This record gives sequence, structure tokens and C-alpha cells, in this order.
Amino acid sequence: MCNRLITKVLLTLFLIFFSGASITHENIPHNIDKTIADKCVEPTDIMRAQHHIFLKQQSHDTVVKGIRTTKYSLNNCISCHIQPLADGTYPSIKSEEHFCSGCHIAAAAQVECFDCHASKPFKKKEISKVAE
Amino acid sequence: MKKYEIKLDRRSFMKNSAMLGLASIAPGVFFQELAYGRPLDEPASSKIRWGMLIDTNQCTEDCNACVTACDDEHGIEDFGRPATDTQWIRKMNLTDELSGKSHSLPMMCQHCENPPCVDVCPTGASFKRDDGIVLVNKHTCIGCRYCMMACPYKARSFVHENLENQVPHSPRGKGCVESCNLCVHKIDNGDNNTACAEACQKDGHQAILFGDLNDPQSDISKQLHKYGGKEVRGDLGLNTAVRYRGI
Amino acid sequence: MSLIRYKSIDLDKKVILPIIIIFTMLAMALYAFVTLEHEGHWMTGMNNQVVWGLPHVFAIFLIVAASGVLNIASISSVFDISIYKPLSRLSGLLAIGLLIGGLMVLVLDLGRPDRLVVAMTTFNFKSIFAWNILLYTGFLFTVVIYLWMMFEGRYNKYVTKVGMFAYAWRIILTTGTGSIFGFLVAKEAYDSAMLAPLFIAMSLLFGTAIFIKALYFLRVSFDLQTGEIIYKRLKKLLTYFILAVFYFTILFHITNLYATTHHDYEFFLLFSGNIYTYLFWVGNILVGTFIPLYLITSKKFFGCWNILLLASSLIIIGGFIHLYVIIVSGQAFPLDIFPGYIESSTFGDGVIATYTPSIYEIMLGFGGVAIASAVFILGILSLEFIPESLEDEQIQSK
Repeated sequence: MCNRLITKVLLTLFLIFFSGASITHENIPHNIDKTIADKCVEPTDIMRAQHHIFLKQQSHDTVVKGIRTTKYSLNNCISCHIQPLADGTYPSIKSEEHFCSGCHIAAAAQVECFDCHASKPFKKKEISKVAE
Repeated sequence: MKKYEIKLDRRSFMKNSAMLGLASIAPGVFFQELAYGRPLDEPASSKIRWGMLIDTNQCTEDCNACVTACDDEHGIEDFGRPATDTQWIRKMNLTDELSGKSHSLPMMCQHCENPPCVDVCPTGASFKRDDGIVLVNKHTCIGCRYCMMACPYKARSFVHENLENQVPHSPRGKGCVESCNLCVHKIDNGDNNTACAEACQKDGHQAILFGDLNDPQSDISKQLHKYGGKEVRGDLGLNTAVRYRGI
Repeated sequence: MSLIRYKSIDLDKKVILPIIIIFTMLAMALYAFVTLEHEGHWMTGMNNQVVWGLPHVFAIFLIVAASGVLNIASISSVFDISIYKPLSRLSGLLAIGLLIGGLMVLVLDLGRPDRLVVAMTTFNFKSIFAWNILLYTGFLFTVVIYLWMMFEGRYNKYVTKVGMFAYAWRIILTTGTGSIFGFLVAKEAYDSAMLAPLFIAMSLLFGTAIFIKALYFLRVSFDLQTGEIIYKRLKKLLTYFILAVFYFTILFHITNLYATTHHDYEFFLLFSGNIYTYLFWVGNILVGTFIPLYLITSKKFFGCWNILLLASSLIIIGGFIHLYVIIVSGQAFPLDIFPGYIESSTFGDGVIATYTPSIYEIMLGFGGVAIASAVFILGILSLEFIPESLEDEQIQSK
């Protein structure tokens, strides 16, 4: 009887503290050019909540319909958010220094995009422009 | 702890619906200019059917320009394992059993009008776009490889290993099936030619011609009208978009 | 009508060894799966020419057997032969176990098994594969309900109706499985409606053989008393099903041999002396058909359960080899893209593809067998699946 009560209390406390999937936005290293930090295509709080929704819709539009608008294009995100490190190389998707992995590793939410998509900008030619 | 606010209010719903509505009628506005330089926000249209005419008389056995160009364009690496390495396009050498005459030609996805690979895909990842290009939606592909069994041309490859150096315009990854997509990223960006055709022309062979089969004024249509084009494994009734001359 | 009594077993030492073996096999399968997930399929023997290999042979064998093992229950529910009634529960349990085992192997071999949810929610209904996914999961539900009707006394009156539904579902499921290959027009080895009835006959054969093995295990380890009637009935079933599979196999190959366009593949398989030729003639025809047929029809061995077990084992091995030959040789044989021409390329055109199963595929495949066994053992441990007795007097009056 007592054991059950303790279990219930612990479970409730656990759920309270770990619910909401809330990782704070501070304290996670972000390798981003600070001068354009406020020029993302959507406000930060919307992006944080819905970036996957934008990307998913874009993936459908691009692959199935051939619409390649740049606003929500993954390559466009990468062109701003993935900057070279101090030594000139790009961060690996597996390290926390990569913009996406910074949050995704902390939240333990697998980002499978980069199984296929290039996680760094392409050096050969200009692929995407910064959104206005 | 921060809370995430998702905008589900009426205003943004109306705004998004209106934009969606506008986007869906936009193609009609650009009716005249569909064949060339399609705007980025315009979907592919069934008024076009992309195809290829391959003149095998111009192909030589020792030339691999198309294959190399395709590999470069899409970031296809050579892992030294020919049985499992990806090949979107390959050169086939044919020798007639009776006469001994030999041919060399490139073989790739034939972009059938009735693709068996699309029929058999359980999730619908293998699909035919409105403009005739048959490709794999790698977001939905589960890697079952049934389409590879169904393809009469062995056009598809399965990615057997982790890839790390993908090119941004051609996402490819482990566990998905892929094949020639007629350089769809170039077409959507207005560059109406494929890497293999460009390389062949640059090399001076003129064996691969790419264009719109639905446009009677296009080069490919005129050449097809003049010389005809054979469908490989035509008895299967697939109505391929890739046709061959000289065999 | 007198009551059939059923029992479950307790966890005793006779079942400990099988459990240990099952766990080991499951651990190995898990290791194989994790390796393939991390490294990719280049670690297997499968390649761009032979895209489906040993795991798929295991999966299809288990799924086809699952459909067939339910036949024992169907004979009593649908064909109203009450002698088989005490066996119905075991038949249902084995069906569930084998299907889960087969499905697991199939799913774990996918290039992207993390997208299973996509596979379960996005369907292209022109694909027989998509239909199969629905048929397999529906089969599981159907058998669970079928068993429930059998277990719950007041629902026994529905067993016939549910049994008929399950029977129909089985036939459609096995037809669908055969059609996975039958619908492939591109490959010379497939492209035939014959594959569906062949698979149905195979399902009946493998299912009955596996059922006999399970029954033998219960006889030897848990003193399940069997009489001559059950022995004779099962032996007869096995005989008929061996002949049925043999008939469809012969018909399939003779029809193909008649068509010149199929000669290349048929000569490759049947007469050219490669590994598939040996597997077909020795593994399938000799070991899987004629030897078991001799064993179970010979008067010398009448009444001997050991011989019946041996025959069942040979049938399972031979049947597995038959499926291996169908699935792998059909892919190993090159596509005839330009008839009348000799083809060569850097992509394996014009040459017979080589396929050697890797250890990972073997481990993965046996993991499916382990799961099927685990479901069986768990079932008989927890619920009353085993009839108290299968002696002649007990089952005659039922």
C-alpha cells in the first residue's frame, strides 16, 4: 500500500519535472553569425516550435511538386545557420557544435534529415541566398 | 521553463489558406511559359513530358563521360564494391548473337509512363511526377527494395552504406532506393538539361538529347519524328520516355 | 458431446533448454540487426542484383507456414472434422508465433526500419506488398479472435463462422504472398499466376510439417498421449500436401519450358549445374519431396512417430531450399534487357549474380524462428493450449 503511494508520488514528480519537453534555449552553443541572428525567415519562437512542420511541408512541395522556393528550403537554413568553425572546417552533424545537433542532441530527438541531406554548405557553387 | 506557442488562431489560418489558394492557381497564370525557365514556386506540370533520345551510333565503347558526369553531379562515390555501389547510369556493351555487331549505349531509368516500380511500392515513395519524371521520395522510402525487383531495366540502386559527402542538391542516404531522376534539381531551377546530356555534348558525341516530348517544336521531338526512337523492352507496354536510335 | 480438457505446462527443466537456445538466437539476431542498422547493408551478401536474400527466404517461409499451420484448426472449424478439434488451439498459437517471427525478420531487414510507422500508415493500394502488410496484421487479429472464440466457452458457437473467415483470410494472404513474385512481369523467373497456388500448397505442407514437429515436442517432453488416428490423419495430410506442391512445381516448370522465351532461365535453373541446380534437384526434389514421401508412405515405417518427425524435418529443409531457389535464383539470373544480344556492363548485366549469405543474415533469419518458438513456449506456459489427450478413444467421440 505504502509502496504504491510512494511510486505514485515519485511518478507524478517525475512527470512534472520532465514534462513539456522543455529544454531552455540558453546554455546551448550556437555557432551562428550574430549579425544576422535576427534575420531568420520566421521569428525565433515560431521556428523553435514549428521548424519541422515547415521543413516537412517544403519536402513534400519540392519532391512531389517540384516547387523549390527558398524560404523554407533546408539548404537555405544551412547557408545561415551552419558557419565554419575557427579552423575553417564545418561542424559534423554528430557534434553539438552543429546548429541542429546543439538542440537535438540535448533533447535526444534524432534528426534524420542529415542521413540524406548535406549537413554543410556546398563549396563549389552558390546554392542558396539569405532570405530577405 | 518556456512554453511553445503555436499559432493556431483564425488569422494565420486564413492567411495560410489564402496563400495556398493563390499558389494553386498560379500555374494557370504562367500558361505560356511552362516549357522554359519555370519559376521556383511553380509546380511541375503534366503539359510537359521530359524525355531523352539516345543515338547509339554516336556512342563509343570507351567513352564514359555520361557516367562520370552523373557521379559528379550527384555526389556518387566509388566504394570499390561494384556489386553494391550505386549506378544511376551505366554503359552497356551489346553484341548481336547472330551477326556479332556491337553497340555501346547508356542505360538508366527509362521514366516509363506506366512504371512497374511505382505500381509495386508499398508506401508510394516511388512515384511519377506530373512532368513524367519517375523518382523516389526518400522521405517515404522504407528501403524494402521491391521496386528494384520490379524494374525491367535494373535501373535502381540501393544505398548500402552510410554517406557523408552528399551534395546539397541531391540528397541521398543509407537505406533508401534511388535512380536517375533526369537531374530534377536542374530542371526545377530552370536549367533544362541533364548532366549526362551536357557532358556528352561537351565531349562532342551528341549521343544524348534531352527535352520535352510533349512539345512538337523541341529538338527531341523533331529528331524522334525524323529518325524514330526504339523503346527498350517495348513488349512490356511501359511507354518509356527514354528512346534509342541505332539498335 | 464430451468435453475436451486442455492444460498448460509449468516452467520445468524440459523447457529451460529451449528457452536458453531461443534467448541466444534472439540476442544474435539483435546484434545482427544493430550492426546492419549502423553499417548498412553492405555487410550482408545482398547487393543491387540480388536484392532479397536469406532474410526474405526466412520471412516468407515463416509467413507461409503461419498461414498453413492454421489449416489444422480450419479442418475442424470449416470442414467439420471433429477429430482435429483438440488441435485447434495449438494450431492458432503456432500461426500467431510464426507470423510474428516472419514479420519481424522482414521489418528488421528494411533499409529504413525506423520508418515502420510510415509503412503502416501510408499505402499505395496498387502494390500487392501494401496489401500484404494489411493482410498480415489482419491475420494476427483474426487468429487472436479465433482463439478467443475457442477458449471462451459461451463463444464456442461462433468458432465455425470465425474459422471460415480466418480460412478465407489465409487463402487471400497466401495468394498475396505468392503474388509478390507472381506480379513481377520484369523477371523471367516470376511473372506467373502459378506462384499463388504454389505458395498455398507450400503453406499447407510447411504448416502441417511444423505442426507435427510441435506435437512431437509435446509428446516427448510433456507426455501428450497420441493415438493411431491422429498419427494416420496427419501422415495422410502430409502425403497429400507433398503431392500438391510437387504438382504445382512440375506444372510451373513444364509450362515455362514450353515457352522459348523462358528457356534461358529454366535451363539455367534446372540443367546448368550451378548451385541452384543442385539445391533444386537434391535439396527440394530429393530431400524435400521424394525421401519424405517414401518415408511416410512406406509400410515399413508405419506407426513410427520418429519417422514422421524425420519426414517433417526434411520437408521443412527441402521447402526452405525450394523458397531459396525461387527467390534467389530468380534474381541472380540477369535480366534480358536486349533479347538477342549478349550484354555486359559495370553493373552486372549479362552475368549471373553471385549471392553468398552473410552471417548477419543467418542470425537475423534464425531470430525469426526464435521469436516463433518463443511465442509458442510462452503460450503453452501461460494458457491451456495443449489437449489433455489425443488417444483414439478421447477424440473419437468428440
